[in-house]
Amino acid sequence: MNSSWSRRKFLERSLSAGGALMAAGLGQGAFAQTASDPRFLIVLSGTGGASIVDSFLAVRESESVTPKEVNAYPDSLVQSIGNLPFRAIDFSSERIGAIPASFTANQSNFVKKHGQDMMVVTHTGTSVNHRVAEQRSVNGNAAWKGRTLQEAVALQYGQGHPIPNVHLVNGTGFTERGTDDHLPSYAYGEHVSVPNLWPLSLDGHKGVDGAPSRELFEKARAFRNQQFDPRSDFYAVFKKSDRVRRWLELRGDPLCGVEAQDLITKLMVFPDSEKMPLAAHGLRGSELGEKVRSAFPRYEIDPLESQAALAFLLLRYGVAVTVTLGAEGGAVFKPGVTLKESGLGKGGMINTPIAFDFSHQAHRETQALMWDRTLSVADRLITLLKGEEFRSGQSYWDRSMIYIATEFGRTRRRPEGAMSFGSGHDLNNGSLIISPMANGGKVLGRVDPNTILTYGFDPQTGRPEPGRHMTEAEIYSGIAQAMGVDLSGSGLPDMRAMRSSA
Amino acid sequence: MEDRNRKRCWFAVLMMTAIWTPLIAQTPGATSSDPRIKFKDGARYLRDLSTALQIPRESICKELGQYDCYTDAFRIVLGGVEPYGNAIVEPLETASLTTPIALDRVALRACTERVAEDVKNPTEAVLFLPGPPSKKWKQTTAVRMYDKLLQRDARKDEINRLLDFYDTVAAEGRPAAETARDWTVLGCFSVASSLESVFY
Repeated sequence: MNSSWSRRKFLERSLSAGGALMAAGLGQGAFAQTASDPRFLIVLSGTGGASIVDSFLAVRESESVTPKEVNAYPDSLVQSIGNLPFRAIDFSSERIGAIPASFTANQSNFVKKHGQDMMVVTHTGTSVNHRVAEQRSVNGNAAWKGRTLQEAVALQYGQGHPIPNVHLVNGTGFTERGTDDHLPSYAYGEHVSVPNLWPLSLDGHKGVDGAPSRELFEKARAFRNQQFDPRSDFYAVFKKSDRVRRWLELRGDPLCGVEAQDLITKLMVFPDSEKMPLAAHGLRGSELGEKVRSAFPRYEIDPLESQAALAFLLLRYGVAVTVTLGAEGGAVFKPGVTLKESGLGKGGMINTPIAFDFSHQAHRETQALMWDRTLSVADRLITLLKGEEFRSGQSYWDRSMIYIATEFGRTRRRPEGAMSFGSGHDLNNGSLIISPMANGGKVLGRVDPNTILTYGFDPQTGRPEPGRHMTEAEIYSGIAQAMGVDLSGSGLPDMRAMRSSA
Repeated sequence: MEDRNRKRCWFAVLMMTAIWTPLIAQTPGATSSDPRIKFKDGARYLRDLSTALQIPRESICKELGQYDCYTDAFRIVLGGVEPYGNAIVEPLETASLTTPIALDRVALRACTERVAEDVKNPTEAVLFLPGPPSKKWKQTTAVRMYDKLLQRDARKDEINRLLDFYDTVAAEGRPAAETARDWTVLGCFSVASSLESVFY
């Protein structure tokens, strides 16, 4: 693993030198839980309601007593794959509701390829408000002091990583800060709004044309930090400000940690080009750039692919232990697509407006297209992570989990026998988790074929339990436990059924 | 060379620790018991730098020669919002890990740009005035840095500290003209990225 600096070592040295950072209040978060070998959490958001009964728990019309009234699929569209318990919808359509955009979507290939690492868990949420439900999907409805799964993972494994928790998708509840204000500052998410330019914010000097040498620049920083600011009247007056304290903290240890890794280069997805003239400014693209660009060739035009490319680099280079990415709310079209009389053309629409939530207008088409898109990105990330050795023959994927987080399910009724219809928000749903650390190849819980509503399972054995509904806190706990997060004192339930050792 | 500079960064932090710790306990003067200051977000910061350094706002800081440092590159990191593209409707509550780095980069770029312009047009120089780097020249330049960037007079001890820093730069042993230029850029950078400049 490429993580050459150690926060702990540095602080030990600081303190032994009489620095007493902690006493000064500048070293907030200096002592995190001891990180063992890191595990990596990828939260891939299914914004808008990724419905589990339109994917891995789909119901065939032949199984339901009122198949034309509920969201049961024609038998021919529901695939079963070998002995795996998952179903899959392979679906084509000429339109997405009113949008004349044809597409072909496939879920079965993903199940065939990754079924052994897939775990589907049913649950019933507590909110059908997008923002609130998004938050609860990652904090378990404030299951553990309000800290998010990403924060919990960063706290557990983030020590020694320059930016442990990176949020690549913005403006969602999946990437909102949790409400536990007592975590070390590095555990909170770092927002990346422009993945292609963000690496430039990881070095204060490299690529600044005509600037004095790096050596002199560091001397200027030292002068500012040691002479200029400490003796200023401004500091004398405002030294008790939390903002000043945090600024001084960030300007020290974390800044060195980030710059020491040359992340401005390692995380640069773009190659040298007219659009990104790196070489002309003394910069270059990442050594793994070609690999990620080939996996995510739409990185320039598709925000999700751009996020995924950077997400892989963040994990691979040991920068982060958790990344959150996902489709954003805007429509994304294939480059060069124009609206003709015949429509947008096949595959012209890459991302529906408002993502999965376009199900309000066109439920099945949206679910099919967006699941296909989400699974495709997950597949490529898994493939990349499997191809990189972490240590001793273990790949990065062996230590990773992809949690497809979503707000809620969708309503189950449909106009008599309709193939194209709109749906609302419904608390009842389920989630897909993919990881060698999860109880792979399993569906925990089941779906009632008459109501198309899911029901829960025994947390220890995983046995389906009709009438039981898994809570947000239980799912949170199961994910955290599978990730190896120390939940001592949290009071969260043991969800043994969700772990690979179950 | 890179490694050496990284080590220098760590060393600087160690030194900073040693310097700040006693100061935090002992700095004299009226300390606010309820300090309320704000981070000068990127839009305001660049506007102020543009005014101070007399460089048009649209050209003061361009990444890769084409992306505005705030609008295109570091808007969120520097405390801005982007409601339309990214649905970020509120600035970050606290500075992010990369904020001080991005800010240093912006300040360094702007100061470098100013001095480069002054070299090109010495008769209209704003910071890097023509002439040999005599003591008077250094004092005048130091006073201008405070005047332009912090909009106040520099105290004698503040000027002296900047002059001491000149000696640090000169210790590199480069020709006097280059030393003077580098000192002006880096002095400008130090003032422009100081607490007093970043917060208000």
